[in-house]
Amino acid sequence: MLTDPSFWLVQSLNSLQLAMLLFLLSVGLTVIFGLMNFVNLAHGSLYALGALIGYSIAEASGSVWWAFALAPVAVAGVGAVLYITLIERLRSAGPLPQVLVTFGLIFVLMDAQRYLWGTDALGVTGNVPFSGTIHIGVEPYPAYRLFIIAVGFAVFGGLYLLLNRTRLGAEVRAGVDDAETAAALGVNVERTFFLVFLLGCALAGLAGAVAMPAFSAEAGMGVGILVPTLVVVVVGGLGSLSGAFVGSLVIGATLTFGTALFPDFAGIAMYAALIAVLLFRPHGLLPARG
Amino acid sequence: MTFRHLLAVALLAVLLVWHSQSEYYGFELLAEVAVFAILAMSLDLLAGYGGMVSLGHAALFGLGAYLYSWLGGPMVGLTAPLAMLGATLGTGAVALAVGAVAVRVEGIFFIMITLGFGQMGYEFFFQNKALGGDDGLYGIRRLDLSGVGIDLSDPGSFALAVILCAVVVYLLLAWVLATPFGAVLKGLHANPNRLRALGLRVHAYRAAAFAFAGAVAGFAGSISAQHTQFIAPHLLNWTTSGEVLIMVILGGLGTLVGPAVGAVVLVLLRHELSSVTDYWGAVMGGFLILVVLSRQNGLIGLTERLLRWRRG
Repeated sequence: MLTDPSFWLVQSLNSLQLAMLLFLLSVGLTVIFGLMNFVNLAHGSLYALGALIGYSIAEASGSVWWAFALAPVAVAGVGAVLYITLIERLRSAGPLPQVLVTFGLIFVLMDAQRYLWGTDALGVTGNVPFSGTIHIGVEPYPAYRLFIIAVGFAVFGGLYLLLNRTRLGAEVRAGVDDAETAAALGVNVERTFFLVFLLGCALAGLAGAVAMPAFSAEAGMGVGILVPTLVVVVVGGLGSLSGAFVGSLVIGATLTFGTALFPDFAGIAMYAALIAVLLFRPHGLLPARG
Repeated sequence: MTFRHLLAVALLAVLLVWHSQSEYYGFELLAEVAVFAILAMSLDLLAGYGGMVSLGHAALFGLGAYLYSWLGGPMVGLTAPLAMLGATLGTGAVALAVGAVAVRVEGIFFIMITLGFGQMGYEFFFQNKALGGDDGLYGIRRLDLSGVGIDLSDPGSFALAVILCAVVVYLLLAWVLATPFGAVLKGLHANPNRLRALGLRVHAYRAAAFAFAGAVAGFAGSISAQHTQFIAPHLLNWTTSGEVLIMVILGGLGTLVGPAVGAVVLVLLRHELSSVTDYWGAVMGGFLILVVLSRQNGLIGLTERLLRWRRG
């Protein structure tokens, strides 16, 4: 197995595909974290919401493309409601109230999802693009997974340009670097945070919608992916776009190769990576603040 | 503080009256309430007094349950009292090692590192086939007190014994908080730099508090294993830690009796609501959100505020 080049190729693609899903989830979380020191444990629930809303849209319209386009908007809408009702009040409250309220939100959102969509795993029945396989060397590989990888790279590219070439990007970078000074220089940090929060929600929704045709949608699917996402955020470095990308690659590879080579220790290896980074590079691999 | 001790006495009276009116189902609930009261009080020592909010406390609880089952089961074969002692001390030793590392970071990073250590433990028992893997272990023995005429296989006697344990733990924690060690712990929460300037070894005190709270959590775990006579990796999962944290917050952070009240309320809510609706999680989550947003220190904080308001 270990001397077979196609094993390494397939596992590399699998780890890249997992990494791109983790990236879509963690990038919103990390910028919210870095910009405002706000911890949103319910971020994974928004991923599940994206998958379930995406499923309903795909079933109603007969095309998953509508799901990819509209599920992020719908999840951002839910995010806006959460922001106005809860999150704005918690902004200055410190980490403990934020952790607790968003932990409570996990249960509320999970039961709302169970009420609306039931508890079964829902697979989309319409025609899914890229549903065939592509031969890589001698191995057939699902084309849809390559599509997920492409979406991840496209989002990374888009966010890179947004962050480095636009006014909003400059405000975000200034806010992450030093929110007080940015505010003193006339940046409306609250508004920037709100926009970043919505973008993060939309990306979580996109991750769910894109994952849904491959892994089906299920109420509560966000709880399992939350912890690896938090690990990516801490390993990559709070508030850092490239940190989230590199962190996703590291954790995706740790989980995929760990499961393939040492199935008993894959999870343990991921947490060991988290602890090692917290102890030896507490600001993450690629910290946003210099 | 005396008011809170009075509340603790009142809570004990309520539990004892409840016990006198109960049959099998009530005894089972009471034992569960008392186990979680012990666990929540130990987390309060850490989070409420020491300012160290851990999302890995249930992992130490679960470790205690596994250690008891392993030491007291056919694999090692110690007697039940020795297995309980071993589970308590063993969990305390693991907590000391984890704490020595974890206390080097603070705030949200402390929450993350305890989450990481806790999930490592969860994964370890989930994957460990010799200890039942994700199916867990059945048929765990209870302590045998037939020599002194107490039959712990009787649910009523068992519930009473666990309540007694909770009382002992309450007194122990209240005593520890009144010692110089407790004063240092509270000072560390309020102003660590000042204590450092006084020449105290901040990390060592924090690690010691983590180890002590961990040992109490391990003790609670060894009782829980005897109560349900079944253990599984979900005991260690971070969501269980979150539930214990809810108990602490619901009752009142840093009040000692509050978390015990929180354990009563949450265990009752969970059982009563889950028989009425499938969506008890949403009710519990919504309740937690309301308590945090009310900016009161839980039920105890609310009660004390109302009393002050009445006195003018």
